[in-house]
Amino acid sequence: MGSLSGALNITLSSMLAEEGAIETTSNNIANVNTPGYSRQRPVLEEAPPVLNGNLVFGTGVQLQQVESLRDSILDLRVNQETQQQGSLNSFLNSAQQIQSLFNETNGTGLQSDLTNFFNSLSQLSTNPSDLNLRQAVLTSAQNLASAFNQTSSALTTQQRNVDLSVTQTVSQINTLTQQIAAVNSQVSAATTSNQNPGPFVDQRQQLINQLSNLVDVSEINAGNGSLTLTTSSGAPLVVGGQSFALTTQTDPATALQDIDSQGTNITANITGGELAGQLQIRDQEIPSIQNSLDTLASSLANAVNTQHQAGFDLNGAPGGNFFVPPTGVAGAAASLAVAITDPTKIAASSDGTPGDNGNVNALLDLQNQNIVNGETPMNAYSNLVFQMGNDVQTAQTNQTAGSQVLSQLQNLQGGVSGVDINEESANLIRFQNAYTASAQVATTINTLLQTTIDMVQ
Amino acid sequence: MMAIRLNPDLVPDLLAAVQQSQQNMTTATQQLSTGKKVNQLSDDPAAVAQLVENHNQSSQDDQFLTNLSGLQGKFQVADSTMSNVVTVLTRAISLGTEGANGTLSTSDQQAIGAEVQGLLSQMVSLGNTTYQGTYIFAGTAVTTQPFAQDPNTLAVAYNGNSNTTSVQLSNGNSINSGVPGDQLFQNASGSVFGALQDLYNSLESGTGIDTAVTEVQDALNSISTQRVFYGNALNQISMSENFLNQDTVNLSSQENDLVGVDAATAASNLAQAQTAYESQLAATAKVLNLPNLLSFLQ
Repeated sequence: MGSLSGALNITLSSMLAEEGAIETTSNNIANVNTPGYSRQRPVLEEAPPVLNGNLVFGTGVQLQQVESLRDSILDLRVNQETQQQGSLNSFLNSAQQIQSLFNETNGTGLQSDLTNFFNSLSQLSTNPSDLNLRQAVLTSAQNLASAFNQTSSALTTQQRNVDLSVTQTVSQINTLTQQIAAVNSQVSAATTSNQNPGPFVDQRQQLINQLSNLVDVSEINAGNGSLTLTTSSGAPLVVGGQSFALTTQTDPATALQDIDSQGTNITANITGGELAGQLQIRDQEIPSIQNSLDTLASSLANAVNTQHQAGFDLNGAPGGNFFVPPTGVAGAAASLAVAITDPTKIAASSDGTPGDNGNVNALLDLQNQNIVNGETPMNAYSNLVFQMGNDVQTAQTNQTAGSQVLSQLQNLQGGVSGVDINEESANLIRFQNAYTASAQVATTINTLLQTTIDMVQ
Repeated sequence: MMAIRLNPDLVPDLLAAVQQSQQNMTTATQQLSTGKKVNQLSDDPAAVAQLVENHNQSSQDDQFLTNLSGLQGKFQVADSTMSNVVTVLTRAISLGTEGANGTLSTSDQQAIGAEVQGLLSQMVSLGNTTYQGTYIFAGTAVTTQPFAQDPNTLAVAYNGNSNTTSVQLSNGNSINSGVPGDQLFQNASGSVFGALQDLYNSLESGTGIDTAVTEVQDALNSISTQRVFYGNALNQISMSENFLNQDTVNLSSQENDLVGVDAATAASNLAQAQTAYESQLAATAKVLNLPNLLSFLQ
């Protein structure tokens, strides 16, 4: 047998449940523009029925929980793609500055200085005893040397700047891992006490996404909603409520910052995020360009010196070093300098007579000889230019492709978690109607109860 | 049927599209203002690498052209000196022929001899011609005066050397930078100084004038043969100039192919990018202003 008071209780539970649903909807609409917010859904379920004889009566509705809608696999894919983008962005940021050092389309670079040096020799060969032409050779050689010096030092400056960014990035990573550790405990506390951990998960995902922009992050589910974060090589970042800071330490060999995790050097193992891009520029791109430049400078200086010593100067004395002999390949570009200041000391003659140009012709011919790792000096330089441009172009292509993947993933994520005003409005009307109906039922029961009371009187 | 739930937030995609059009517009404007389709290394690394070789080559050509005009000046001076040498020798021959006339008195012959002596010293100074401060008939001993005359014996000594040098006219194309003085003025087939000196001596002594005149004639023939070098060299220089000028034109057309932009294409790219940008903005404004369900619930 049913009862009026039972029915009244049902309307009460219904009104309470709809209130909760309306509150959830209201919260969704309030957060429509909140970054990282996942829409929430009230989960309504039948209240447990009661058995009365052979009749089963429903006892109304209850708001079982409010759940956040998110796809953790999508979150993971977004984070992975973000790591890739972070790395490419920071690589490009520096690489574009470096490539402008060799922008031959507007005349920046070493080509004109290299050509002018050989052209001055070409002119000297027409009148080898002319002091003005000899002075012009010295001047163009000095220009060439200082072009090498400046380019090399610009590369070193760029490397130091990136090194500074590495330190800053590491400190940003440490701030984020601290925040993530705190939120991580809140997620597992909420999960353990059967509350909706959704808002904390939103916040955590938001922070992990920021972290992914800086460094490669690998996520391991540690149970109870808690996550363990490590770098992809396994260096711990967050375990439960505890964060593990990365540290930087000056490498005695390079004077650049090494990255340590728990005392272990993990510099070479960083594979994603801005940090990886910075390390790639600092430890690979710049050293490779610098090495090509050094090889060019030292090969040229050595070849010119050897040939110069085979000739005789204007006074008939044997030629000495034309360039200060490089001590080795490393640092040759930075220290390239002309050894002579007296134009009569240029060994243009191959037999000691002042009008002979045999040796200056031989020096001039070096521009067509494969004196730099099997290439002519100009070939070696144009290869360097190609290499630099190609590295930037490849990174740009990857970045464009990756950003399209990322925005697609973000759209999928939005499809699962984004708040849709139309949907919320429809829900609101639905919940409002149910609430109004329940209230109407309560009014009706009230009338019935009044009728019963009146009947007794 | 349940539709797939799409991302309700359209703003990021709309903004990305607007930014893309803006980017296209900037690229087109940059191409139009610089006249180049390659403005960064990464725009076309292979083209820039070729541009390096192209600029190198074209700058070398410019240098060759400068060298050529210097060489041309020097060879022209040498050639006109040779022309003066020929005039002097011709004059000597006519003086010798005049002196060989048996009706002349000894003193008349000696007067002609004195004139020949003048021609001889004129010839010495022609042999010592300089161009831009260096002796052009001294072989490679360009700082040494090549010909010196003994004031007593009138004998002329050569102090230069017999070396020659070569100079590049263009890549892989060289030319001798001159003929040494001894080959020109003291050639075995006819020595200019020897012949003039013999003519002078024969006029002074009054004997062997005819033989001496023949000697001068031989020297004149020798000079005419040697002089051909300068004529040829000047021809070769002007041919090289033509080649280098043509090469410069080719290189600059190659440069244009590598990095230049066709102005009409760039202008039409810009117009397209502008149209795309404007329609993008119009679409964005429209989509962002679309009503939602709430707008109809009154």
